[in-house]
Amino acid sequence: MYIGISGYNHESAVALVDEHGTLVDYYREEFLSRVKGDKSFPKRSLKRIIQLHNIEINQIKSIAFYERPLSSFLTSIRTAALNMPRSLPLISHQCRNFDKSSISCYLDLSRLFPGLEKKLLYLDHHLSHTLTALAYSDIQSDICSIVVDGFGDRSTTSIAKVNNLYDIKELWCCDYPSSLGLFYSSITDFLGFEVNEGEYKVMGLSSFGNSNSLNAKNVFNLIKWNNQFKTITMDMSYFDYHISPTQSYSNKLVELLGPPRNPFVPLVREDNDFQYYADIAKGAQDAIVNILCQLFNYAHTLTGSRRFLFSGGVAMNSASLDEISSLSCVDKIIIPPSPGDAGASIGSAYFAYLKNNHRQNTKLSRPTFFPSNYDSTSQQHLAKQILTDNFITLTTEFVEIISISAKLISKGEVIGISINNAETGPRALGNRSLVCDGTNKDAVNTLNTLIKNRSPFRPTAPSMKYHTANKYYVLRNELIECYKTMSATCKCRMDTESINFPTTHIDHTARLQIVEDGQILFSLLDKLEDYNIQILANSSFNLSGDPTSFDLFDALMVSMRKPLKYIITNVGLLQSIL
Amino acid sequence: MKDDASKLNIILETASAEYGSALEMLSACKLSEKAPYSCGYFNHAKDEYNHADIFMSILSKYAMNVSSSKARNYRFTARSLIGKYVSAKGYLYEIMKQKDFIAYVYTNELLAKKSFEGILKLVKSDSQQSSLILQIMEDELRHHGLAKKHFLKHYPRMQPLQLMAYRIRETINNRTRKFYFQNLRILDKLLAPLYIFMAYIAGTISILFNLREFDHTNKNLMELSSKSIV
Ligand SMILES: [Fe+2]
Ligand SMILES: [Fe+2]
Ligand SMILES: [Fe+2]
Repeated sequence: MYIGISGYNHESAVALVDEHGTLVDYYREEFLSRVKGDKSFPKRSLKRIIQLHNIEINQIKSIAFYERPLSSFLTSIRTAALNMPRSLPLISHQCRNFDKSSISCYLDLSRLFPGLEKKLLYLDHHLSHTLTALAYSDIQSDICSIVVDGFGDRSTTSIAKVNNLYDIKELWCCDYPSSLGLFYSSITDFLGFEVNEGEYKVMGLSSFGNSNSLNAKNVFNLIKWNNQFKTITMDMSYFDYHISPTQSYSNKLVELLGPPRNPFVPLVREDNDFQYYADIAKGAQDAIVNILCQLFNYAHTLTGSRRFLFSGGVAMNSASLDEISSLSCVDKIIIPPSPGDAGASIGSAYFAYLKNNHRQNTKLSRPTFFPSNYDSTSQQHLAKQILTDNFITLTTEFVEIISISAKLISKGEVIGISINNAETGPRALGNRSLVCDGTNKDAVNTLNTLIKNRSPFRPTAPSMKYHTANKYYVLRNELIECYKTMSATCKCRMDTESINFPTTHIDHTARLQIVEDGQILFSLLDKLEDYNIQILANSSFNLSGDPTSFDLFDALMVSMRKPLKYIITNVGLLQSIL
Repeated sequence: MKDDASKLNIILETASAEYGSALEMLSACKLSEKAPYSCGYFNHAKDEYNHADIFMSILSKYAMNVSSSKARNYRFTARSLIGKYVSAKGYLYEIMKQKDFIAYVYTNELLAKKSFEGILKLVKSDSQQSSLILQIMEDELRHHGLAKKHFLKHYPRMQPLQLMAYRIRETINNRTRKFYFQNLRILDKLLAPLYIFMAYIAGTISILFNLREFDHTNKNLMELSSKSIV
């Protein structure tokens, strides 16, 4: 058995790969701790994996950590040191938290499972991202990998050529502190959203902005692709993330753009300053798209490849994909369902596997989109009283669950789904989703506001079968795989009613999901054809601020806290009686 | 009259403590052995989530009216609870004996109720918020009563006197915790120049490192040492 771990910097997670090179289990720590964005050492995930699969420590051949911890530590200290004395508080903070940094992975492991620490391997952070993407790709040789995130162990952006699974050559990288990811996060912070969580909001907000506005241009000009030196250049005087433990942008940015947004004031379209913030978001989004396009072009020049693996946190910027894929050098883009650091544990587990199975014909078998092992019947007994006090079971037969749910959806109800294994996140693909009729404005509104309390400028994603998607949206062949995991937005066909769907964004795009046969949403959509419904609005099964619900208790808790009446579980279709 | 900063701080701390309690109760609900206990913890968790929601909405209401640069410091993130409001080692039910856990809940609910009396004074000008907080205080008293009943039922030999001992211990613990953190803050301020000096030394040494040695351009990443942490 082979284990991959990520943690300490961003969301922590653990992945398990078996002797055949198959991903057999995976957990984000936040699934189990219920703390959103939990980045602490993933002890619960590790314990659960070892207990659930009855693994003896000696059966674990290797355990791989998703970065080289000392290099990550030194890079940040050294960069800060170049800006002393201003950066002394950051250096002091880093040194004092040395024991909480990823360097302590070795100790944390040895405390939890003595002996396991001896099997610890380290790999380059961007390699762990590349291997994650590679696992989900049907092409595993002769392909280019582009990794763009905030900061790995050395660099913030890199291009590598995957000749085969054992020959992955890094050809170019951009050094910290210039960072596309941290640039976007700083703007996210300026706009009053939570870093590492609010980037989606900036992306949604940007559609309302005007590229030609002064604010958008000012933001756009903060980060550039330098074509002469082939590098990303940033005017660091506008940013503080590399020298301050608390501040991501500098006072100079405030002088340039005006005061940052108060995070507690609701951002409403009708308000005067909405456009001001939307323009800032637009500038950041334009900058991202511009640099990513240059980067893909350069990667093509370097590697000759027209097929790309794209990963790292910035690969979650689904709105940039449509434009990137229209570049003449792009034939195909593969993005793993969890391109960020949590997903990097999957690549790390594969690294451990590859290191122990050096064979000519080794291939990584493509992981399922639903790798986190779970079945709600395992908690049915313990939840008995909660269920009898608060819920009635409408049916336990799967066929009936689907037909009753379809009928409820046709009547405008929102249904929670918490069945079988969970998806990797961050996107809900159907097993941990809240769904309703995607063409019913009232139902989508209930889902968004009454249940999820989402920002009104962020539309919900629509899920549908391929032929429906093709009818309403301009699909790009290069992104076909991305649509299966909601990794790319696409444009509406302007001559169809899709432009008026409540899941369509202001700029006539949607972050759709093409549902495949075998998924629960496919069964639901099948049945919904009886009611002439072809599109489901699909949002993750959680309340705002909480992680996606993982087990039966989490799902029941959502229903007890908000007006969610129906939940599909392995225990049956439940109806709340409150 | 408290100034904005300390008012916001108290409300944020309370919201965090309530959210932390919700997490504790949810974990107890999943780990307990019997369905009725699980149900009890589940309902308790639901109340605590509800309390956290209420405090967060009170927080928004106040923070909305202060300058954005000030307000930004009072954002709630669940992640920041770890190590402060919930132990980094694990939830109480994961690391404590069940008996200790129930006694802990028993005493803490009472302490929680007490701390709300202070908040009530803070928001007394707003009748709607006052009534919400009074409602929360009632919840806490109910939790306390339930924990007490639960405790005496399952540990009948642990008489009220012993519960009292638990309560005193927790009260002292709570006070020492506050005392400890306060002292830590003072110590932090006193030692700040030393930390900065040490940071200066560390920074100066780090400049001597040649980071080019970490450069992996044109290298096969699969063949680099997998035992090296740099
Ligand atoms: Fe990363
Ligand atoms: Fe409470
Ligand atoms: Fe309570």
